[in-house]
Amino acid sequence: MSKFRKKESKGAPGINTSSLPDIVFMLLFFFMVATTTKEVDPLVEVSPAQGVGLEDLTPFKQRSEVDFLYLGEPRKGDKSKFDKGIAVQYDGIIHKDGINHIVKWKKDKFDSKPAEFTAPKEEVVTCFKADEHVPMGIIFEARELLGDNNFNSIGYYAREKGNRRGYEIRQQ
Amino acid sequence: MAKREAPEINAGSMADIAFLLLIFFLVTTTMDKDLAYLRKIPKKVEQPENQPPVQKKNIYTIVINSKQAIKARDSVIRADEIESLNGRIKHFYLVNRDKKTDRAKNYPYYAFGTIQLYSKNLTQSENKLEALKAQEEKTDKIRKTIDQTYVMIEKWEEKLSMARLYKEYSGKREVPEIAFEAHIRLESFIDTDYSAYVAVQSEIQRAVTELRDKEAEELFGITYTAMNKYYQQNINEDSAKLRDYRKKMDLIELLFPLRLIEVKPKR
Repeated sequence: MSKFRKKESKGAPGINTSSLPDIVFMLLFFFMVATTTKEVDPLVEVSPAQGVGLEDLTPFKQRSEVDFLYLGEPRKGDKSKFDKGIAVQYDGIIHKDGINHIVKWKKDKFDSKPAEFTAPKEEVVTCFKADEHVPMGIIFEARELLGDNNFNSIGYYAREKGNRRGYEIRQQ
Repeated sequence: MAKREAPEINAGSMADIAFLLLIFFLVTTTMDKDLAYLRKIPKKVEQPENQPPVQKKNIYTIVINSKQAIKARDSVIRADEIESLNGRIKHFYLVNRDKKTDRAKNYPYYAFGTIQLYSKNLTQSENKLEALKAQEEKTDKIRKTIDQTYVMIEKWEEKLSMARLYKEYSGKREVPEIAFEAHIRLESFIDTDYSAYVAVQSEIQRAVTELRDKEAEELFGITYTAMNKYYQQNINEDSAKLRDYRKKMDLIELLFPLRLIEVKPKR
């Protein structure tokens, strides 16, 4: 009689999965903390310009002190309907008035927040998420409209270029 | 009666629920941060007429035309050497720094403020205010001058505290201040691409940030970027550290101001 009796082989032993929820919850919390929610689905094509030394807008977003507008070619439909083929998207919609709608949009946004919770008008950033081939004329039109209505902070959206040398600029 | 034991809850589906939540968050959120160059649109002020024009040496003009060709002052910059703007802008800021004689003629001069000078100006403004207040008949003109004097006093007080802070950390008596008119003038055309405009903005930002970081590192042992990051993240707190950082950042911004005029394109 041997002391170590061979176990009857019963196939592979089952894996204990009781800690699986813990692992998945850990992953869940990581993603909840490390990511931010998407604001809107873009209706216009935006491939961002590149730069270095950009400022992170996350703290501004957390305080809701930044509004984004998108400029670029429309993803659907005829682009010739728009001035210079550039459509302007405010939140969820492409507005037919193009850039001239910006003042009404900003005013509505500003007035919808209670005064004690928001930064003064001059400091609420308007960030242009513009495609790299958007002509500057349209952005300066927006700048002028905003300046006339005392929305004095703007942001030029771009992507971090990293250490690569040179900028990708369309040569003509 | 014997106490019945509570039946155990089956936790087998906990993992499924957690996975569901995880996948929901994966789909609805993005990893990439929103980054931008923050700029101010200048407020409209009524310009008093016949102001002398800004001297040429105080302007650094960069022009981007509709074909994305860039010109900085008088030199044409090829697209593959946009990064040389960094050095050029730094040169514009630094060439006359700490120089009282033998200055480069075509670049902005520096002014040297001292604690004594600022205190003297402050006392003068305060005396002026006292004299104005003592006047019995107050015409509109006098009221206006009083308001202006208040602004002046505030300005001198600020400069005085800056000079004290600079002396405390650097040991130098004189604050080198670039000419108040010195600025970068960025001109573009209506058809200039956004990417080219942003590339130039990027080089301007890089030059100024590097100058500021170096200075802040030397004075305070912490970079301007690090202080700014902390400041932006904790702006709503009212802590001593935050106020300290604000003061230090103000000093660095005074030493290396980013004065950028973006001209509305005409063509």
